[in-house]
Amino acid sequence: MADTLTLLALFADIDPTVLAIDKLHEMGITDEKMDIVSGIPFNQEVLGRPKLSTFIPRLAMGGAMIGLIAALFFIFGIPGLYPIRVGGQPMFPIPVFFIVAFELTMLGLMGTAFLGLFLAGRFPAYEPKMYIPEISDGKIAVVFPCSVEMQAQFKDAMLSLGAEQVRSVEAKSL
Amino acid sequence: MATMAEAIPLPDASASEPGSQREHLMLDPRPRGEMNDMVMESMHTTSKKFWGMVIFLVLTVLFALVGAWVYMIAEGMGVTGLTRPVYWGIFIVDMVFWIGISHAGTFISALLRVMKYEIRRPFTRAAELMTTFGLIQAALCIFIHLGRVWLAYWLVPYPNGRDLWPNFHSPLMWDFMAITTYVIASTMYLFMPLIPDLAMARDRSTGWRKTLYRVTSLGFRGTEAEWKHLKTAMNIFAFAIIPVMFSVHTVVSWDFAMSTRPGWNSTVFGPYFVIGALHSGIAAVMIVLFMIRSTMKNMKYFIRPEHFDFLGKLSLIISMAWAYFFFNDYLVPWYGGNKFEQLLLDFHAHGPFAWVWVSMLICNIVIPWAILWNKKWRRSPWLMLVIGIVINIGMWIERFVIIPVSLTITRMPFTWRIYKPSIEIPITIGTFALFMLLYMLASRLIPLVPVWEVQEGQNAHTLRKVGKAKIPSVGDID
Repeated sequence: MADTLTLLALFADIDPTVLAIDKLHEMGITDEKMDIVSGIPFNQEVLGRPKLSTFIPRLAMGGAMIGLIAALFFIFGIPGLYPIRVGGQPMFPIPVFFIVAFELTMLGLMGTAFLGLFLAGRFPAYEPKMYIPEISDGKIAVVFPCSVEMQAQFKDAMLSLGAEQVRSVEAKSL
Repeated sequence: MATMAEAIPLPDASASEPGSQREHLMLDPRPRGEMNDMVMESMHTTSKKFWGMVIFLVLTVLFALVGAWVYMIAEGMGVTGLTRPVYWGIFIVDMVFWIGISHAGTFISALLRVMKYEIRRPFTRAAELMTTFGLIQAALCIFIHLGRVWLAYWLVPYPNGRDLWPNFHSPLMWDFMAITTYVIASTMYLFMPLIPDLAMARDRSTGWRKTLYRVTSLGFRGTEAEWKHLKTAMNIFAFAIIPVMFSVHTVVSWDFAMSTRPGWNSTVFGPYFVIGALHSGIAAVMIVLFMIRSTMKNMKYFIRPEHFDFLGKLSLIISMAWAYFFFNDYLVPWYGGNKFEQLLLDFHAHGPFAWVWVSMLICNIVIPWAILWNKKWRRSPWLMLVIGIVINIGMWIERFVIIPVSLTITRMPFTWRIYKPSIEIPITIGTFALFMLLYMLASRLIPLVPVWEVQEGQNAHTLRKVGKAKIPSVGDID
C-alpha cells in the first residue's frame, strides 16, 4: 500500500471551496474521506455534501422523559412517602404537577442537549488535531488524504481552483 | 424578480455614513481576521480608569455586600427594617428585579434567533451575559433573605435523616425549581455559542490566556460535524429556553398571587410580571450596550445607532404592554369594591409612598412614551442610556410598590406599619456593584461580540438592485 499523507487546501471563499469539493469527488476522494473546516457554519446543501445526522435531539427527548419521571416522583411519590396536608389541597394535586413537570422536563431536555453536544462532538478533545489558526480568520479548509505520488496532482488541481495554500498537515496541539 | 433584480457586491468597509447602507453592520462587512483582531484588542485593552473602577467596585462589594451581610448574619434579621406586617422587603424586591434583568438575555438571544431577526447578531452575547450575572444576583438575594442561610440546603430534595422533604405544593418551592432550571439553562446557553469565539481567542493568545481559552474552547476546530452538533444543540435551547423564561417570572409572580393578600391575589400577575421583566431587561441591555460602546475599543463598529433604535422600538412596545397590564391589575380591584383592596389602592396613590407610586408611572410610561416615538432620539446612545436608567428605576420602584408598600395594608389594621429599610440599602448597592464588577471582569475575558455570528450574518446579506434602488436582501442560511 502506497504511503498516504493528509493535504489541506485553504480557500478564502465558499464558491471555490465547493468547486474544489466537486473536483476531489472527480479525483476519487469520497465524502467520507474529506472534511471541511470553517470559521462559520455552512450547511450541507451549500457545500454539496451529504447531510450529517446527530443524535442530540433524540438524547434530549430522553432527558426530557427523565425530567418528567423525576417530576412524577416529586409530586406523587414524596407525598406518599411523607404525607403532609397543606392548605386543604389534595395529597396528589394535578395542577401543581404541571408546574413541577414543566420545569423538570425542560431541565432534563436542555441538560441532556448540552451533554449531547459533548458526547456527539467528542468534547473536550485536547489531543493533537489537524488544524490551522487561519480557519478562525474566516478561511475555509478542505482536508483530504492522498498518496504521496498523487500529491502534486492534487496540489495543482486545488491551486487552479483558487486555493490560497495547499500543504500537508500533521496533527498538533491546538 | 430574479430577472429584474441583480445582486451587487457590498461596499468595502469604511466609516459608516449616516443614511447610507454602511450604517447597517450587516451591510458593512470587514474581513473576519480584522473583526477578530478588533474584538481581541477590546478585550486586551485596559486603562488606569478601568482598574480604578474595578478596585472601587471590589471595595464596595466587600463593605456594602459582604460586610453588611456578615453583620446581618451575626446580629440576626432584626437589623433589617423587616417587621410586622412587612416580612418581605427590599431583598425580595431586589430578587424580583434581578430576575427581571435576566429576562432580556434570553428574550433577545433566543426569541430573536428563532424569529431570525438579523439585527440581534452583535449584541446577543452582551445580553446573555446579563442573564447569567443577573441570576447570580437574584440567587444571592434569596440567600440573603433566608436569614439563616446555612440552612439553605433544606430546599434541596434528597433523602435525609429528618425524614422531611420540601413541600412541592408551595410556590416558594416552584420558584426554587424554576430559578434553578433557568440559571443552569441560561449558563449553558451562554456557553454554547461562545465555544467558536473561545477557539478564535485561543488561536490569538499567549500565556495564561492561551491556557484558559484552550481549556474552555474544548478543542473546537470548526469541522462540519462540530458545527452541526453545535447548531442543533443551540436550536433546541433557543426553542426550549423561551417558555422557561416565561415560566420563571410567572412562578415568581405566583409567590405573591397564590396568597389571598389584598393587592397580590391577582390572576393577571403572571403576564404582568413577565412584561415588567422584559421592560427592565431591555432597558438594561440599552445601558450595557452604551457602556460597552463607549468604554471598550472598537465597539463602535459593532454596536451602532441602528441597534439602539431597534431596542428603543422594542422598549416602547413593551412599555405600552406594561401599561396595559398595570391598568388591568388596577381596574379590577378598583371596580370590585373590596374594602381592603380599596384601602390599598388609596394607600398607593395618596399614602406616604404616593410619590413613589407616581414616580413609577412617570418612569415606566410617561418618559418612555414621550421619547421613544422619535426615531432620531432612539438613535442617540446617550439618550437611550438615560431612558434605560429611568425605566430601570421605574421597574425597581414597581417591585417596591408591589412588595413592601402593598404588605403595609393587611386585613388587620392594628398591624399597619411603614417599612423603613436599613441594612437592606447597602446590601442592595452591593449587589449592583457585584453585577458591574462581574460584567467588567468578564468583558476582558470573554469576547462580548459573537464574531462568527456577525460574519455569518454579513455573508447572508446582499444589496439587490431593484429599479433604481439598492435594497438589502437576506438569504436564509440556516
